[in-house]
Amino acid sequence: MTSTHQMMALHADTAGGSNSNARQQAPAILEVDDLSVNFGPLRAVDGVSLTVREGDIYALAGESGCGKSTLAYSLLGMVPPPGVVSTGQITFRGRNLTRMDRRKLDQLRGAEISMVFQAAMNAFNPVITIGTQVEHVLQAHPDSFPTAREGREYFEYLLRLVRLDPDVVWNGYESRLSGGMKQRVAIALGLLLRPSVLVLDEPTTALDILNQRLVIDILNDLHETLGVTIIFITHDLALVAELANRVAVMYAGRLVETGTIDEIFYDDRRHPYVSALIRAVPSVTADTELIKPIPGRVPSLAELPPGCRFAPRCALATDICQSVDPPLLLDAAEHGVACHVVNAGLSEKGLLK
Amino acid sequence: MTAAETTPATDPAPLLQVDGLSHRYPTSTAPLPALNGVDLDVAQDSVTAIVGESGCGKTTLGRMITGLLKPSDGRILYQGQDIWKLGRADWNQYRRAVQIVQQDPYASLNPGLSIRETLRPGLLHHKIVPRREVHGEILRLLELVGLDADEAFLRRFPHQLSGGQRQRLAVARAVSLRPQLVVADEPTSMLDVSIRVAVLDLLLSLREEQGLAYVFISHDFGVVRYIARGGRIIVMFFGEVVEDGPAEEVIKHPRHPYSYLLLESIPIPDPRTARRRRREIATDAVDDRAEQPPAEEGCIFANRCPFVEDACRQARPPMAEVSPGHRAACLFPERVPQLAEAIPEIAGV
Repeated sequence: MTSTHQMMALHADTAGGSNSNARQQAPAILEVDDLSVNFGPLRAVDGVSLTVREGDIYALAGESGCGKSTLAYSLLGMVPPPGVVSTGQITFRGRNLTRMDRRKLDQLRGAEISMVFQAAMNAFNPVITIGTQVEHVLQAHPDSFPTAREGREYFEYLLRLVRLDPDVVWNGYESRLSGGMKQRVAIALGLLLRPSVLVLDEPTTALDILNQRLVIDILNDLHETLGVTIIFITHDLALVAELANRVAVMYAGRLVETGTIDEIFYDDRRHPYVSALIRAVPSVTADTELIKPIPGRVPSLAELPPGCRFAPRCALATDICQSVDPPLLLDAAEHGVACHVVNAGLSEKGLLK
Repeated sequence: MTAAETTPATDPAPLLQVDGLSHRYPTSTAPLPALNGVDLDVAQDSVTAIVGESGCGKTTLGRMITGLLKPSDGRILYQGQDIWKLGRADWNQYRRAVQIVQQDPYASLNPGLSIRETLRPGLLHHKIVPRREVHGEILRLLELVGLDADEAFLRRFPHQLSGGQRQRLAVARAVSLRPQLVVADEPTSMLDVSIRVAVLDLLLSLREEQGLAYVFISHDFGVVRYIARGGRIIVMFFGEVVEDGPAEEVIKHPRHPYSYLLLESIPIPDPRTARRRRREIATDAVDDRAEQPPAEEGCIFANRCPFVEDACRQARPPMAEVSPGHRAACLFPERVPQLAEAIPEIAGV
């Protein structure tokens, strides 16, 4: 275990609670500033700013097409062509990722920011053992461990943390592993080079309930043990509630709310889309009588409404919402909402950051 | 003469009876069949939810109820008649009366057919309305499912519709034949969260208006609880029914260890509940609870069951009543903890 990891574990202890002062003491690790990503004329991510601090478990949440995956891929400089970062920048520990050259990005990926992709079942080569694939990663990053043997030992340590039997996995082929086991091996592989940030794309989608629970427990556990900062993409509010300490909710390319999970789920000052989304999810504990769908549908990026993108579906929308896109306003605790109605009067009350 | 025909008139036969249904896909190399001895009654105007993980046989069961797949063993009785022994005209009527809404509205609609052509052939083939009224009927159906009932919309093709609109069209196609029973196989799992409940509400309102019965297949207990209010839940594990009871009862008081583990593990969209439930983790322990194969002898769940006894491995436990109308295939249902101890919020709903 490196000393960085131990240091970050201290931050992790404070980040889990709702004490926002403690959080603000943790240094920023990733800062996204006015980021836009274009696919031709379509803007999949539009002017997003957010700060991930060391020790966060940060959820990027939203429905399909909201831009959450594009945003996450841009964190690793991996926006698929023809997508391009059209405005803004991403700063990782003071370094501008958006202007970094290819060679430096290659060194950074995996070693400092690592990604576990969706559909982990496709992440492995079926004709060589898992152990051989790990050795390939270690050969590509020869400076990461003093000897290959130590690299293998560290991977076996990670396998035990994800509660798999190292002997079975190291000599096994991916076809021998179930979907849930592959997802756990993919998480261990993502952590092999001891990154300080782990990005996961829909880490529980396509897993059955028992495996979802296991992955949630394991990620909470890894966060505590290794102190790694976790960013995950999800459409599932239950996963946000179970795993995250902070969350950014996106809608049609815009960031509409960012805050702690308690702010998102319980605060009085919330984005109408977020409140409506929480009410729209049938769960085993929600009051069935209160569950309501959101009328209408998510606008296509090619036909965005002028003004607030949620206005056509919003029960609170007023005239200004139809014409002016609302900015995301942060309060002192870094809880941000992009809504004219909710934010009305906020600056007069001196509540803004 | 079938058993159903001898039932006294005071207790009419259920709309559909599934009796000892088993199936093994001819190409399967799995040690266990896809379905094994499934029994199930579907009453008129009822909701029966079938819950289970991927691979438990719920989709196979749905396809068999719809008559799309012939079982290798067992019978499906529709209004007392074995569906695989029906004459041509009766079979035609059965295929009209039992419809299916499938999971993936991107795959279940023919991309080459306009909305009009998606709905028209069924109406004509089954002579639902006279030919000159077909056009009006199509508009009525679109209105019924909350789609635009106008000429321009009729000329659209599936690729011009959103996922939610496609699924509404699939529902319109299913109810256009005025069925008695609709099998809905995960109809909302591919849809965006914000519109799922709208499609569920559509199914519920159609049931009220048309007296439909649903067999609703899902892996999501939240969705099932919403749609099956007042109905039944059937829990399946590797091709077998392990629990069957009133929906609220199964969710609040599961009596089979498998149903209990599923419900206890469900991620819940409420941070306070989630934090309280966060489990202390025994590090370094290999956890393969979710990976154990089903037992080939005795209770199918024995390899994963935390309450297993030697007796469980001797013979397959029969479905036994645990409370009125609620049955579980477990020898020791009293060992299953009360779910409310793990999730108190569940008792209050």
